[in-house]
Amino acid sequence: MKLIDIIKSANSNLLRNKGRTFLTILAIFIGSFTIIATSAIRTGVNGYIDKQMDSAGGEGYIEIMPQAFQEIMQSVMSFGSNGPTEYDPDKNSTEMTIISADDMKKIAEIDGVESVKGARMVEAEYVTSDKTDKKYLISPHALPSTRINIDIAEGRLININSHTPEINLQPGYATVLGYASDADIIGQTIQLAIVEQATMKIQLVEAKVVGVLNKSIINMGRSWINESLQDDILDVLYAGMPSSYRDMTMLATAEWDTSLGDDGLDRIKDDLEELGFVGTTINDQVGMIKTFFDAIILVFTIFGGIALLAASIGIINTLFMAVQERTREIGLMKAMGLGKGKIFMMFSIEAISLGFWGSALGVGVAYLAKAIINPLAANTFLKDLPGFNLMEFDILLLVYLVALVMLIAFLAGTLPARRAARKDPIEALRYE
Amino acid sequence: MSSRSVIAAKNLTKIYGKKSSAVKALNGIDLEIQRGETVAIIGKSGSGKSTLMHILALLDSQTAGRVEIGGQSTTRLKMRQINRLRNRRFGFVFQQFFMNARDTVLNNVMLPLKIAGVRKSERKRRAMEALEIVELTAKAKMRANDLSGGEKQRVCIARALINNPAIIFADEPTGNLDSATSQAVEDLLFDLNKKKDITLIIVTHDADLAARCDRQLYIKDGKIISNVADDNKGKRAARDENHTFRPGAMRKTVGLSHKRSAGQGGRIL
Ligand SMILES: Nc1ncnc2c1ncn2[C@@H]1O[C@H](COP(=O)(O)OP(=O)(O)OP(=O)(O)O)[C@@H](O)[C@H]1O
Ligand SMILES: [Mg+2]
Repeated sequence: MKLIDIIKSANSNLLRNKGRTFLTILAIFIGSFTIIATSAIRTGVNGYIDKQMDSAGGEGYIEIMPQAFQEIMQSVMSFGSNGPTEYDPDKNSTEMTIISADDMKKIAEIDGVESVKGARMVEAEYVTSDKTDKKYLISPHALPSTRINIDIAEGRLININSHTPEINLQPGYATVLGYASDADIIGQTIQLAIVEQATMKIQLVEAKVVGVLNKSIINMGRSWINESLQDDILDVLYAGMPSSYRDMTMLATAEWDTSLGDDGLDRIKDDLEELGFVGTTINDQVGMIKTFFDAIILVFTIFGGIALLAASIGIINTLFMAVQERTREIGLMKAMGLGKGKIFMMFSIEAISLGFWGSALGVGVAYLAKAIINPLAANTFLKDLPGFNLMEFDILLLVYLVALVMLIAFLAGTLPARRAARKDPIEALRYE
Repeated sequence: MSSRSVIAAKNLTKIYGKKSSAVKALNGIDLEIQRGETVAIIGKSGSGKSTLMHILALLDSQTAGRVEIGGQSTTRLKMRQINRLRNRRFGFVFQQFFMNARDTVLNNVMLPLKIAGVRKSERKRRAMEALEIVELTAKAKMRANDLSGGEKQRVCIARALINNPAIIFADEPTGNLDSATSQAVEDLLFDLNKKKDITLIIVTHDADLAARCDRQLYIKDGKIISNVADDNKGKRAARDENHTFRPGAMRKTVGLSHKRSAGQGGRIL
């Protein structure tokens, strides 16, 4: 029997019991679709993050945090599940959670570190302007390094060293602050309301808008300010308090010599660790987000895998029924000289076809879902992130998945196919 | 051994089951069938007729003894060679037809060629030829299930002859048919024997059918107890001359052969 005839027979046999075949394919489809859809979302999200990372550059600077501070964060993140930790004055003292001026000097001396800057705790109560009575929340942050490629929609990036207090606003502020467009707010002065920590009195600090940002996950909703503006804010924030408060640093940012490469970066991180600090690049941070996201994706993929496992039991069941029903036909074909191998092949191809159609249906419906969901997402919860396609297909991955499902189907089919191949023609012809 | 021997059995023994519950279905069968011969295997139910036919057709394996095809022992043949032999040299007709009921008549007839790996246009052509012989070309596109019993058996005969076999094995080919339809089917088989020199090995309970064969092997408890060969070639030739296939119009020929072997026919049943 020719291969093409075996394939045709297998497929026409599948059509003999359409209902049963359809249900089996449906089961495979559910598993395949789950896996395809989640992997498409993973590709979409990672693709967007990578695109953002590329445009952000971002490998040129390291955020530095005291180890003790990170440990505290971790214990908070773990919901205290590690139990009470014994106090250790060398490790757990309050002064271990801040970066002192002395520490800053040591960090600056690390080989490969070009400059280091302490980040202060800057907070604004709200933002307003002369053109409106309304007040809006804002999250000002001193730009840690010019090595980040900030995506500017209008105007220019703040000048870190300028003596004028400058700010880059998040998109959307121009209109709510009473200006016709982003272009209109450039060069204008707005007011940030700062609360004096000692007295809780509110004071307004002036800031000049020099640019409006594009939406980006790298900015994380922050409006960037230069040092001059930061100083003005700190003056209000810590008015009447000892200068040690004002200079307190929990986070520092170091720029490093990127020509040293990954090995150089690792060495700098090791040196920081010896000093009692943890250094993370933006890639590390995004990596953590990705790891977390991948864990969620993994859970869904496992669900899909379980569905596929159940579906393969369905394949076994369907084919056992088919073998039973076609006992005579098998006997007849064997009597007419069809070999064991060909019979095995015929049922295996039936199984593989089930796998193929199930997973192909999964691919097809996933494409359909993409066509519906992507615009829907882009118009709703991803509205502010242009260029973010929620679902994105990796063609090679799809091909692998279809091939994998076909392989699983084949393996599931070997049991019934073996039974069919082993049928004794006499027994089969006697079968009532 | 004659050079015209197509199939022979030497001391064929078949035992079913294990020691305590063993059934000796065949007990030292010796026979030799010549090319173009028509042989009826007759005997009571359970005597071992089907078992013998299955072993001769290499569908089953014997416990002892051997089967020779064209003078060659089949004992050492590999499964592949046996399959090939069955596919190319044998045709099968069964009492219960065994067709794929939902498939078309044409597809059913083509099955052996499909198994042989013949290309589609060729197998269609040959299937139509075979259907022409059984006078069913008009029903080629019909579903096998929609045919009458007699038509079904004619389709099965078309299927059995499509590969130009040396031997057709028929296990009670008329067992499910009324007498008139049986006649038509029998006529077809004997016509093939005459025109294409196909050897017929027919298991039957039908005395008339057995009597039309050149030889009657009477089996009892797995042994041949009577091997009546009709070596009156002249008579055979005369019978063959009278005989052409006209469905439902064969009483005359049948009457002749029936008379000729009435005595044996009485004993069979
Ligand atoms: N697979 C088997 N296992 C055990 N015994 C078997 C098997 N096949 C056949 N037999 C026995 O072998 C003997 C011969 O069976 P066989 O089918 O050859 O008889 P038969 O002459 O064809 O009968 P019938 O005219 O009823 O078809 C019977 O006693 C039967 O019970
Ligand atoms: Mg029988």
